[in-house]
Amino acid sequence: MSRSKSLLSLASVTLALTMGVTSAAEPSLTPQQQQGRHLYNHLCVYCHSPGVWGTNRLSKRMDEEHAVLENRTELSAGAIQTIVRKGIGSMPPLRKSELSDSDLSAIAAYLARQNR
Amino acid sequence: MAQAAVRPPGVSAADFKAALQAFAEAVGPDWVLVSELDRNTYLDAFAPGDADSHAPSAAVAPHSAQEVQAIVKIANRYRIPLWPVSTGRNLAYGGSAPVLRGSVVLDLKRMNRVLEIDEQLGYALVEPGVSFFDLFDALQTAGGKLWISTPAPGWGSVIGNALEHGLGYTPYGVHADTICGMEVVLPNGDLVRTGMGAAQGSKEWQTFKYGYGPVWDGLFTQSNFGVVTKMGVWLMPQPEAVAYVGVSLPNADELPLMVDTLRPLRLNDTINATYTIVNPFRSIVDGYSMQGKSRPDIYQGRDSIPLALVLKELAAQGKAPWNATFNLFDRDKGLDLRLAAIQEAFERIPGAKVQTRRWHRGQPLEQWMRVQPGLFALGIVDWYGGPGGHMNFAPVVAPIGKRVADLYESIYARFVEFGIDYYCGLLNVGARGLLLNAVMFFNRNDDDLMRRGRELYKVLAREATASGFGDYRAHISFMDEAADMYTFNGHALRHLNERMKDALDPQGVLAPGKQGIWPRALRDRKGRA
Repeated sequence: MSRSKSLLSLASVTLALTMGVTSAAEPSLTPQQQQGRHLYNHLCVYCHSPGVWGTNRLSKRMDEEHAVLENRTELSAGAIQTIVRKGIGSMPPLRKSELSDSDLSAIAAYLARQNR
Repeated sequence: MAQAAVRPPGVSAADFKAALQAFAEAVGPDWVLVSELDRNTYLDAFAPGDADSHAPSAAVAPHSAQEVQAIVKIANRYRIPLWPVSTGRNLAYGGSAPVLRGSVVLDLKRMNRVLEIDEQLGYALVEPGVSFFDLFDALQTAGGKLWISTPAPGWGSVIGNALEHGLGYTPYGVHADTICGMEVVLPNGDLVRTGMGAAQGSKEWQTFKYGYGPVWDGLFTQSNFGVVTKMGVWLMPQPEAVAYVGVSLPNADELPLMVDTLRPLRLNDTINATYTIVNPFRSIVDGYSMQGKSRPDIYQGRDSIPLALVLKELAAQGKAPWNATFNLFDRDKGLDLRLAAIQEAFERIPGAKVQTRRWHRGQPLEQWMRVQPGLFALGIVDWYGGPGGHMNFAPVVAPIGKRVADLYESIYARFVEFGIDYYCGLLNVGARGLLLNAVMFFNRNDDDLMRRGRELYKVLAREATASGFGDYRAHISFMDEAADMYTFNGHALRHLNERMKDALDPQGVLAPGKQGIWPRALRDRKGRA
């Protein structure tokens, strides 16, 4: 990948921070979950950070804290992967060309980290 | 490789299989996507009806212009229709789905490199998979001296949006005007560069649009004459300051007054960016969607929400019926002068209000500035409850108050007749054109509502044609209807486009039916999409 792409990654974290998304180090995260968090902050926060579209939709079905995907405790990795590839409601599916299977697995691992 | 359930029309199973195998040899087997799950990711996510009527047979995702060339040559060998998409997020216009069912999507998302940023000259050279998010991030990382112009959803392609004549909200908001130099794979697989890029070793490719001879860039916008694999885009130097301006007029019949007041201010460049005039109903929807509310929170009827109810709700919220918003970009002193002229113009109107706020270089970017891409606007698609979607009818009209108001009212009457809420914004394109963007929201579980929306589009297109108007952009289901609006001299423009198509793409492999341009071999399919 070109220099610009690696620079993009750094900037996306910066952008996520400006949007109020927690990005502080979580020592308990596995390397895959850390990668997943990074990708989540690049791809998912635009609809799933507090106060935006996806979160607003989910808040109709659950309390506001858990409407933020990062805070969920019952999401399974498999369900996340299916939803991302098939879409749900007004969320369109994400294609392999924009999110590879391995990157999707990383996001799923991150979001399922608190699964109880 | 899995057997495809959908095939390109007129292509045998054996030929299709051979073509897919050849594609796999060109780009690698991982990037020929033919499983049902993969194919479904390319369906129109906001389809106003049965998405299967525009289902692709497969997708192929190259990583370079050379791979695009190889794919196009294979397509010619087997007569496979290709449907190029950049990021495939052209939602409300078909997303990544083709006009012609069975086409193979040529997915350019993996070509996502920002190849060059020149802060001295204010441009970037990008590939089609670069989104507004990507370019924004790259520019910030490079130092933040250049700003993008972004449409409402930021996941779209910088190239794709410019090619489709998209708009942003800065002085560089007419995105097709910011194009400077292209690299294009022609339908026979040849690779060309336009403008100064045609001179080997030129360092002026992104600085001078015209080169020598005909200017071709426009021919590759809203067309099916080539696949753009690189494009130069001019970028705005970060200004010293930005001012937000919101103006409102107190009476429901004051659209003409709004248009006629804004026109001279835009024409003399006092307003130096895109403005948006928001109709009463849109003010309600935008406000509600920001709060996560939708239609049932205000109205449960199957008919169009009555204007009286909309006005009553606006009054309760302390909002006026007609609002316009825009931003000004300048040095601080320049903004003072611009704002004084705007205040003076609106002070003459009883009850008019002007609100402003300001940003200065060094402060964090704010959402109202609309220079940082996001996806906030997508919340409105759930207006009728999810899963939502919308399509648009956006005829071009000159900013003359009475002309705009007559068109606005005639469209409004049809929205009421078809029982659809009239969400409308009027955006200027440069100083002399407006898009009257009438948006038809729907719930994709409501077949009757979608049927009414489709019929409404056809009626609006027919009536606007009779008055000499033309749509500026259309959903894949209505590209023929939109092209039909351009009637002069027996549709002479369409005939010219078809002659061009047949000359450049004799096999008709590239995006058949796009913008209503059908290749000779498939011309009988016109109107059947």
